[in-house]
Amino acid sequence: MSIAPIELDRPERKAAAKLVFDGVSKRFGRGPDAVLAVARADAYVGEGEFLCIVGPSGCGKSTLLNIVAGFERPTAGEVRLDGRTVERPGAERGVVFQQGALFSWMTVLENVAFGPRARGQAAGAARDLAMTYLEMVGLAGFARRYPYELSGGMQQRVGIARALANDPAVLLMDEPFAALDQQTRELLQEEIKRIWRRTGKTVLWITHSIEEALFLATHLVVMTARPGRLKAAYAVGFDADADRNVTTSAAFTEAKREIVGLLRAESIEAQRQEGVGR
Amino acid sequence: MTARNLDPDIAVQAGEAADDAGAGRRAARRSRTLSLASFAVMLLAWTALTGSGLWPPVVESIFLPSPLAVWQAFVKLWNIGYQGRSLAHHILISLMRFGIAFVFCIVVGVPVGLMMGMSASVRALLDPPIETTRPIPKLALLPLFIIWFGIGELAKTIVIITALFPLMSISAMQAVRSVSLRKIQAAESLGASRWTIFRRVVLPASLPGIFTGIRVSVGIGVTMLVGAEMVATSDGIAWMALSAADFIQTDIVLVGVLIMAAMGYSLDRICRVIEARLVHWSGKD
Ligand SMILES: Nc1ncnc2c1ncn2[C@@H]1O[C@H](COP(=O)(O)OP(=O)(O)O)[C@@H](O)[C@H]1O
Ligand SMILES: [Mg+2]
Repeated sequence: MSIAPIELDRPERKAAAKLVFDGVSKRFGRGPDAVLAVARADAYVGEGEFLCIVGPSGCGKSTLLNIVAGFERPTAGEVRLDGRTVERPGAERGVVFQQGALFSWMTVLENVAFGPRARGQAAGAARDLAMTYLEMVGLAGFARRYPYELSGGMQQRVGIARALANDPAVLLMDEPFAALDQQTRELLQEEIKRIWRRTGKTVLWITHSIEEALFLATHLVVMTARPGRLKAAYAVGFDADADRNVTTSAAFTEAKREIVGLLRAESIEAQRQEGVGR
Repeated sequence: MTARNLDPDIAVQAGEAADDAGAGRRAARRSRTLSLASFAVMLLAWTALTGSGLWPPVVESIFLPSPLAVWQAFVKLWNIGYQGRSLAHHILISLMRFGIAFVFCIVVGVPVGLMMGMSASVRALLDPPIETTRPIPKLALLPLFIIWFGIGELAKTIVIITALFPLMSISAMQAVRSVSLRKIQAAESLGASRWTIFRRVVLPASLPGIFTGIRVSVGIGVTMLVGAEMVATSDGIAWMALSAADFIQTDIVLVGVLIMAAMGYSLDRICRVIEARLVHWSGKD
């Protein structure tokens, strides 16, 4: 029931891991205007683990996730999934965005069936599959609605069902609940934990909320201000099932204090850079 | 099912939707009433200015005939036609000139714009001719087209096309270029091929922008029609109004103007109805 520091650059663990960051750097632009967004990130995520990355805003979290998704190419190093180097987007890496990524011209069901259809499944089978995942996120009754008819929280559920419908090897989530109100966010956090346990997916989760990270993660990485480096890593074990109020427990508060301390230094550093940069 | 009961959003949702629909209907009814009132005021002013047989006209009927006189002119034109041809002929020939150009631009101009949006090479190839000819007032090309294509239908149709084509292709191109990168990335990471992404993501996402181009084209197209029927013609509704003006038959001129207004208005309505069916999500993203 606490957090314990771990080492993320262990070659023997890396060799066995599901998802590996191997010296990943990303520079945007050239010359004096270049921005080094991520600097030599080394990390690994084991099969079925839930890795949360927390860090001050602008530190390169999204950049890191976009590299895993294949939307961006690293300028140095590489990301490997199941031993294969990531080069482009692919269905084995499901992505859930913060908002605005649903297809407004398709019904909820068509959105979720999109992946299976695109990968060649027959329409009927894809629809059945989509329905299964809509049930999993509690939206079976909204299959025929359009995304704009749903609340923000429901839209995120659709996004999660859509990513799951492809049965991806890893789920990539970039602050998926950041635009939601507190109440909806907490409900969805419980639900994502339930879904994660049920599906056994490997998850890479980005957030700026320490509480969210501690609640969800099996592993947690703290990123530094730009250029983003991986500053510290922890194994996390808070059992919300045993204790529904785990987030108010002393151990949780203690863990939170430790991470907040780390991040505060980083946020101050990030703001100082902003001042120098402009 | 348990999750449904858990989520406060879901319960609130249905009620909100019903409220929205009610407010929307009330707003629509109010604007319809206001539009009708505005029409009625215009008609009253027109009736008052022309006297309409009730009092001496403020404006001579040679400048502005009364609504009744215009209606009578319309009935007469409908029954005996104008200059040897039926009114329906004049209306249909004008609609045809506009329609052929309009449909051609939708069938060719929009796909060209889509390709320009999708491919930087196509854009590099086609942007210069479209951009350099854009400032030319297209009606000024009509004499040239008459020399090239004769005084038949071709020159008229082509002059309308030259005005509508860049409009539709450029708006289609811009629509494609402004499709949210996030939606394309979502499709990519769901395993969609380039063709699937085009067909099921880029194309539908561009439809609102394409329709904007099409609707603007209706207005410009009807204006171009008037210009195209100004020279080397002996039929068409704009021609009827123009030639009636030579004989100061103001009532016939007004019938022509009103018919063209009705044409423009109904074409715009048709586009709007099709748009509302096809892009129900527009503006709700
Ligand atoms: N496409 C891009 N071009 C240039 N700079 C970028 C681009 N994407 C991100 N950046 C910069 O990289 C840094 C990290 O951005 P991001 O990964 O979005 O941070 P986070 O998600 O942690 O808030 C920021 O300073 C941002 O301005
Ligand atoms: Mg981000």
